[in-house]
Amino acid sequence: MSVGTDDRLERYAELAVRVGANVQPGQQVFVHPMVEHVELGRALVRQAYEAGAEYVHVYYRDDHVRHAMIGLGPDSALTYSPAWAKELMLSEAGNASIGTTGRPEPELLADLDGERVGRAIQLELADIAQQQHRDNSVNWTGIGAPNEGWAEQVFGEPDVEKLWEKVAFCMRLDEPDPVEAWRGHMARLDARAAALTALGPDALHYRGPGTDLTVGLLPSAHWGSARFRTSGGIDYVANMPTEEIFTTPDSRRAEGTIRSSLPLVLNGQIVRGLELTFEDGRIVGVEAETGAELVRSQQATIENADRLGELALVTNESRVGQSETLFFDTLFDENATCHIAYGMGLPYAFDGVPDEGSNVCKIHVDFMVGGPELEVDAVLADGSEVPLIRNETWQLPA
Amino acid sequence: MDERLERYAELVVRVGANVQPGQEVFLFPAVEHRELARALTRQAYRAGASYVNVIYRDGHTRRAMIELGADAALTYAPEWQKVLATSTAGNALIATTGEPEPDLLADLDGERVGRAVQQELVQIQMQLLGEGAVNWCGIGAPSEGWAQQVFGEPDVERLWETVAFCMRLDEPDPVAAWQEHLARLTGRTEQMNELAADGLRYRAPGTDLTVGLNPGVHWASGAGDTASGIRYVANMPTEEVFTSPDARRTEGTVRATQPFPLFGQVVRGLELTFEQGRAVRVEAETGADLVRSHFATIENADRLGEVALVTGESRVGQTGLLFYDVLYDENSTCHIAYGTGLPFLLDAEPDDAFNIANMHVDFMVGGPELEVDAVLADGTEVPLIRNEEWQLG
Repeated sequence: MSVGTDDRLERYAELAVRVGANVQPGQQVFVHPMVEHVELGRALVRQAYEAGAEYVHVYYRDDHVRHAMIGLGPDSALTYSPAWAKELMLSEAGNASIGTTGRPEPELLADLDGERVGRAIQLELADIAQQQHRDNSVNWTGIGAPNEGWAEQVFGEPDVEKLWEKVAFCMRLDEPDPVEAWRGHMARLDARAAALTALGPDALHYRGPGTDLTVGLLPSAHWGSARFRTSGGIDYVANMPTEEIFTTPDSRRAEGTIRSSLPLVLNGQIVRGLELTFEDGRIVGVEAETGAELVRSQQATIENADRLGELALVTNESRVGQSETLFFDTLFDENATCHIAYGMGLPYAFDGVPDEGSNVCKIHVDFMVGGPELEVDAVLADGSEVPLIRNETWQLPA
Repeated sequence: MDERLERYAELVVRVGANVQPGQEVFLFPAVEHRELARALTRQAYRAGASYVNVIYRDGHTRRAMIELGADAALTYAPEWQKVLATSTAGNALIATTGEPEPDLLADLDGERVGRAVQQELVQIQMQLLGEGAVNWCGIGAPSEGWAQQVFGEPDVERLWETVAFCMRLDEPDPVAAWQEHLARLTGRTEQMNELAADGLRYRAPGTDLTVGLNPGVHWASGAGDTASGIRYVANMPTEEVFTSPDARRTEGTVRATQPFPLFGQVVRGLELTFEQGRAVRVEAETGADLVRSHFATIENADRLGEVALVTGESRVGQTGLLFYDVLYDENSTCHIAYGTGLPFLLDAEPDDAFNIANMHVDFMVGGPELEVDAVLADGTEVPLIRNEEWQLG
């Protein structure tokens, strides 16, 4: 029996449970692995019980089931939210939740009609998720789950061991005391976020090949790391790894064009060479080498998907960036370099009720825009520009 | 795409659950059964399902719960699972068996393993079963672990061939073969209902057991109909004719003739002694604690809920294999179940003769040496089974 014998797997799961979700004794825990992630799913369950969980729910997701639903199911199935799935999600309030990423077949849905793939969103579940983000009622985290298919996508061969080593490096599992290493890392990110919040820019200006975009900021939104605190007072780290500081922009003020710098795995298709043009905050042009139809479908069928919900800054200190690996997984790739998201504004950027400029939307899609050539400036209220990022290096003192 | 897999899934969807256009379908596979689960999902949509819900279960997470969780976790039925169970009403359900690791829980405390039953969920399922609310089907899902258990090596291909034989997928027209097979079983069922026996008597080495029958409960086999008239085959394969006995009138001793997996442990050499309907003694080479825990902690688990007759014509029996899977093994030979009676067999409201419990555990008692007689109301005995052959003609 393999139970408890794979030390790295258990230490990884323990870190996700103790530092990521920060499961509290007596809480229920909801684990959402893909069906190919069973080994990690089981380790998370063990570690959650070890941490004193009252009960651990495991709901396995399966992209092949989704493929059949979109490919063969009726139109009504695309947006359907079963009653039990709603109840499952509602039960997470006040409890802990752990999701895993790392698709074994990132392009599994490539042969399906992009319009249907884009439309396929469980609308009522998305509403519940939005509410829980606003209430900050769940201590949650997302982590990667190495598997053969994912390794194949990353390295061109199913070298899971190599992927595990990369993931362990990004997760600081190579440190003598990973928990302490994470504490120091999050403190550094929080200090950087505080410095930018103190600068109080009115907008950010992105410049790079194919990119010239200005995005307005909201005075009531702060910059922060992914270390959050639930309304019940539980500190947690929502993404592991995390290397970003982010804010929620003014979704009414985006002008110009931005070109994505990395491919993006989105709903089982890969979007390559994405280029978005904004006018008055809304996306008016979508171009891409692959996946354009999927993105356009989201913009056409999901209200406010054509507005921005997040701006995030990542520098070359990122362990993910240092791994010099394209992961084909948003959790990792978005922490390698600067990124932006269209869709839902993150309520976590606000101390109270989100500003009306914060975008309300049922989806949130991050895409990568960073790289050596990207210049990011803070635009102050008087119109002067302060460099924030040059050559992937942080330009402010903190 | 694996053609045999798709044909198998199609047979299950069309003949087993008989999914109707517009129905939702609920699949409950083990995580190790994902290839079959995906094929079932495809075939269900092809049959016109409005939505296919797939809820994977995982023996390892159950293991962690029993080993590491608090006492309260053992019997906890989460609200979402109750909603899930209730949502199956009016819809189709397909469950898969074939434990990849039948003795995964062997090293855990049998008392805790036995107590770990989500009783509120079982109650909902039994209620729906009684109402005939669900067209459902249970089938086997070959996996490496299961093949290892059956053959001593992970020969999944051989297990697939065996399963295909038991499922009549080797027939030129499997659907027609199933109709013919079900008609044969129906003939036996009618014989038993006409005979209207008052009891059954089992005799074999280590076995001398009399079981009273309940006049308010009929014999059944193979196909059933939901309350709304959807014909379905609840088990595939199925080779049995069965009824729920008078749970108050069981006397004597019965010895299981095969080991069987139960809750992640394997019960070997089970011997139960009954007095006035209740099991008063449990002996077993392995798994005795688990069975005793069922009897001690689950109300009426110590009474019988089913008697089932299977003969040598069974395709499962003809394989000569021990499957370590109740769906298969119970269709290879005669079996009995402790725990709940099957509510869809009731002709009237249940009385105390009909057992109600939050579990149902089948175990095999058949073999060449088993003699089963029907005991009529006047005390005469009519042979039903000798040397695994049907005696009623």
